[in-house]
Amino acid sequence: MKRTQAAPRKGASRKPARILPRPQRGRIHPVVIYPFRQPEHNTDLEKLYELIGRLDEQKDVYARPLTVIDRKTHQANERRKAYQTFRRNRVERHSDVLDAWCVDTCQMWYTGLGTAFDRGGPDDVYWLIPGDFDYGTPVGQEVLSRLHDLPEICVELEQDLCIGEIVTDHNNSKQLIDTYGTFALLYNWFPKEAEDIRGYTERPRSEFFAVRHGFLREMLCRRWYPHEQTVVLLLEAVLRHKHISRFTVGAISDLPEGRDALASAWHQVERTERVLKSFWQERHENKPGWADRYRALEAQSEMVVRTALGILQNLLG
Amino acid sequence: MQDRYSAHRNIQTANFVCNAPLAKFVSLVGDFNRWDETAHPMKKTPSGSWILSIQLRHGHHRYAFMVDGTLTLDPMAMGITKDDRDRRVSLMALS
Repeated sequence: MKRTQAAPRKGASRKPARILPRPQRGRIHPVVIYPFRQPEHNTDLEKLYELIGRLDEQKDVYARPLTVIDRKTHQANERRKAYQTFRRNRVERHSDVLDAWCVDTCQMWYTGLGTAFDRGGPDDVYWLIPGDFDYGTPVGQEVLSRLHDLPEICVELEQDLCIGEIVTDHNNSKQLIDTYGTFALLYNWFPKEAEDIRGYTERPRSEFFAVRHGFLREMLCRRWYPHEQTVVLLLEAVLRHKHISRFTVGAISDLPEGRDALASAWHQVERTERVLKSFWQERHENKPGWADRYRALEAQSEMVVRTALGILQNLLG
Repeated sequence: MQDRYSAHRNIQTANFVCNAPLAKFVSLVGDFNRWDETAHPMKKTPSGSWILSIQLRHGHHRYAFMVDGTLTLDPMAMGITKDDRDRRVSLMALS
């Protein structure tokens, strides 16, 4: 099939292609989530912080970037010279570092987005940038050159949430988890909302997104679930009739964490189920007969999880 | 909205392709033509695809194809969103 596209650019570089001109109002707050495990080589982080450095120069468009580093990451690496040097010369030079003890990545998001929110204003947009992706590869650099579209879409098209979707092979574990786990569970607990979400994205657990100040405030002030924040953001956005966009950012992989693909997939499906159960309960616990309905859905959910894990075991085990 | 940024005065050619060999009339609609289905008719090629090149300002544009009167998403679009009438439409970035 022919592809609809902008006319090819001669000599297009992999640097961020366009720096957003000065907006009349509002700024974009980049929030970087530093990898929990310090990579052996800094190639990917070097490329990421080249981008962060360029954003930091555009002070009329971007607020001072913020990097969240888990204290456990710091403690594990504080004697490593490479980490110290990179942190001092790249991370601290181009961003404010927020050292925080965090239970998990979701708490890093909460801490980072919350701190950026405290610095922001009503017309601002917050841009989450996960640090643990292979930005150093040629395709990773291409993705880096597109990420700026996410907050810009929020600003230009007045969207509350813009989800960045990465392109993966159908057999990629992330894709398999979403197909057989995340969406299967979403259709069980929130069938109508699941349909709406799937109308936007096949990757409801994406770590790439930008969110507008007002919607972020609503989210921060609610209960912050400890898992699968993007799924919760999407559910809330759909339930609250927010303006949502999805933008494809390209093909990229997260850095290896040393975890078994099946074990990791297993945890992720179970976490998704836990968060959906809690979220459903919170929304329905004041309605008559909610407990019977919950038990029925829970029984179905158990079957969904069992089926998903069986499929994932066949494919990833 | 697009006038909020001065760089949107920058113009670039955008190429659109809609694969609808059985259609009688296809046009391009979007924010840039106020969703007017007569503003940008597409041209049918011998292969059955409908094509159009237009000049657009840098930035992000919402658009769709109007295929024999039916609003149709671009399957190759870079993104998806909704228009002001709450219809799902395609999204593109020009930079």
